[in-house]
Amino acid sequence: MRTLWGRLILVATMFAVFAGAAAWAADVNDLLFEGADHHYRGLVDQAIGKFQEALRLDPENEYAHNQLGILYAKKERYDDAFREFSKVVEIDGRNTFAHLWLGILYLRKNDLDRGFTKFNEVIALDPGNADAYYFIGAIYNIRHNPVKAIEYLKKARDADSEEAETHYRLGTAFSNLDMVHNALLEYDRTMALKPSHTKAMNDMGWILYNQGKVDEAVDKWKKVLETNPKDRDAQSNLAKAYGDMALKLQGEGKTKKAVQYWKQMLSVQPGNKAAVYYLKKYQ
Amino acid sequence: MDRRTFLHLLGKGALVSSVAGIFPDLLFGQSAFDLGLQGQELIQNGEYAKAVEVLQKAVAMDPSSDWAYGLLGRAYRGLGKTAEAVDAFRQALRINPEDTYSRWMVEMMTQKPIPKLPKKEKPRSPLEIQAEEEEKRVLGRLASKESLEYQVKRVVVDAGHGGFDSGAVGLSGLKEKDVTLELATRLHRRLEAGGRVKSFLTRTGDYYIPLSDRTAVANQYQADLFISIHINANENRKANGSETYYCAEKASNQEAARVAEFENSVLKFDEEFKKEEGFISIEEILFHFEQRMYWKESGSFAGRFQEKFKTDLPFRSRGVNSANFFVLRRAKMPAILLETGFISNPEDESKLKTPAFLDRVADSVFRGIA
Repeated sequence: MRTLWGRLILVATMFAVFAGAAAWAADVNDLLFEGADHHYRGLVDQAIGKFQEALRLDPENEYAHNQLGILYAKKERYDDAFREFSKVVEIDGRNTFAHLWLGILYLRKNDLDRGFTKFNEVIALDPGNADAYYFIGAIYNIRHNPVKAIEYLKKARDADSEEAETHYRLGTAFSNLDMVHNALLEYDRTMALKPSHTKAMNDMGWILYNQGKVDEAVDKWKKVLETNPKDRDAQSNLAKAYGDMALKLQGEGKTKKAVQYWKQMLSVQPGNKAAVYYLKKYQ
Repeated sequence: MDRRTFLHLLGKGALVSSVAGIFPDLLFGQSAFDLGLQGQELIQNGEYAKAVEVLQKAVAMDPSSDWAYGLLGRAYRGLGKTAEAVDAFRQALRINPEDTYSRWMVEMMTQKPIPKLPKKEKPRSPLEIQAEEEEKRVLGRLASKESLEYQVKRVVVDAGHGGFDSGAVGLSGLKEKDVTLELATRLHRRLEAGGRVKSFLTRTGDYYIPLSDRTAVANQYQADLFISIHINANENRKANGSETYYCAEKASNQEAARVAEFENSVLKFDEEFKKEEGFISIEEILFHFEQRMYWKESGSFAGRFQEKFKTDLPFRSRGVNSANFFVLRRAKMPAILLETGFISNPEDESKLKTPAFLDRVADSVFRGIA
C-alpha cells in the first residue's frame, strides 16, 4: 500500500515537474518572442520588460541578455549594456555576438586597443565572422592604413557580401591607394545594396572628378542633393567644382562664362563668400 | 508575419493537414501553398529531411512566400543544418521584414559561430575584371605591418586666406595671404621632393577659396593629414611667437577661442547630430569614434610640430591650443592649423619677408611630418 502510494506520489511529482517545465519553456519562449517583436517595433521599454521577465524565469538565457544589452545601449545606458554582454560571455565564452558588442562599446569609450582585441577574439572563435573582420577593417581605415584595411574588409566582404557599409569602407580604402577600378566597383556594390548611400556617391564623384570626368562628378553630387538637399559634403563638393571651373574661365578671360559658374556656386552654397564677391565684381 | 498570423497558419495547417492525411491526392497538388502545408505537416511529425525536400519545391514555385521560407528554416533547424536554416530565415525576412519569428530565429542562431554556405559563382562584369587586374598589379607589391599607428602618406597643405581676403596685414604692408602661399608652396615642394608623402595644395595662386572648399580638397584626395598655414596677428604689436592649433570641441583657453572665432569668420557650424530616441547606429558609433581619434591624433601632430618649432625657429613657443575651427572640423582626417609668427609684430614681419626664413619654417614643418 505504502509502495503504491509512494509510486503514485512519485508519478504525480514527475508529472508536475515535467508539466511545469513545459509550461516554463513555453512562457520563456513567449516572452522572448514578444520581446523580440516589441524590440522590432521600437517599443524599447516594453521590450526591456519582456526580456527582464524572461530572465527571471531563465537567468542564463543568452538571447535575453544580449537583447537587453542592445536595448540598454539604445537608451544610452551603456554601463548596463556592458554588464549584460559581459554576463553572456560569462555564461558562454563562445557567444560571439556578445563579444562583438563589447568591442563596439569599447570603441564608444575610445578604447581602441581593447576594442581591437575583442574583435580579434571573435575571429579566433569564428574565423568566418564578417562583422569582426568589418570592425578590424574599419579600425585600420580610421588609422589610415589602407593595405591592412583592404585585407580585413575583403574578408568581411567575402564572408557576407550583403553589407553596404563593408563595400563602402572597402571603396574608401582602395581609393586611398588610388586603386580606382576597385574603388568604383565597391562603391557600385554599395549603391546596389543601398541606393541612398550619399557618402559613396560623394566619394565616387571625387574619383570621377580627379579623372577629369567633371560632368559625371557633378551629376553624382547633384544626385546626392536630390537624396538629401542638406548634404554638406555634396554642397561643398559642387561648390568646389563650380569654383574651380569659374576660376579657370576667369583666368582665360571668359568672364561671362565664369559668372554662370559663380551663380551655380551660389545656388548650392547661398552666402558663399567667393561667389558673392566675384558676382558683385563682374556682373 | 505577426504571431497571430503565424499561429493562425499553424492551426489552419493542422486542420488542412489532417484532411490531407485522409485525402492526400486531393490536396497535395502542385501549388506552393499546398506544398507548404505538406512541409508543415512533415515538420510537426519530425520528418525534417522530407520537409526540406517538399519546402524547397514550394519556394522554387513561389519565391515570394516568406511563410514557405520560414518553414524551410524550421525544417533545416530540425535537421541541425544551422547555416541553411539561417539562410532560409533570412530569405523570409528579406521578403517580409515584419516576420518576427524568422528574425527571432536569425538573432538566436547567429549569436554563436555557424558554418558558412558555399558561394555561388557569378559571371564577372568588365569592371570586376579591371579591378582584379588592378589588384594583382598594385596590391601585391604593397605590404603593411599589423600596427595601429596612424599612417601619413598624403598631406593637403592649405595656404590660409587668398584673393580678396588678405588676412592680417603687417605694418610694412606684408599680407598674410602672400606669406601663407609662399610657405605652403615651399612645404609642398619639400614634401614632393622627399618622395615618401604625396602632397596637394588647396590653392596655387592668389585667389579666394571658401573654408568649406578647403576641406573639400582634403576629402578630394583622401588626405591623411590636413595642414592649414596661417600667420597670427594681434592688436598688441609686441605679441610674438609660434603656436599650433587643433580641432577640439572646446577651446583650450580664451585666446584660442578668439583665434578660432576670427578664422571661422562668417561661418555657421553643422547642426549637431540629433539623437533619435530608442535608436542605435553602429555607423554613428564608428563615426564618432573616428572623429575623436582624429582629434586625438591632431593633438599629437600639433605637439610634434610645436616641438619642432621650439628647436628650429627663432620664435617664442606659445604652445599648442585647441579650438573649434570650421576649417579643421570638416576634415575627415587629423587637421592642424599653424600660426608661424605674428605679422603684426614688426620683428616677425621682417623675418617672414625673407625667403631663407620661409624655407626654415617649411623645413621645420616637413620634419614634423616625416
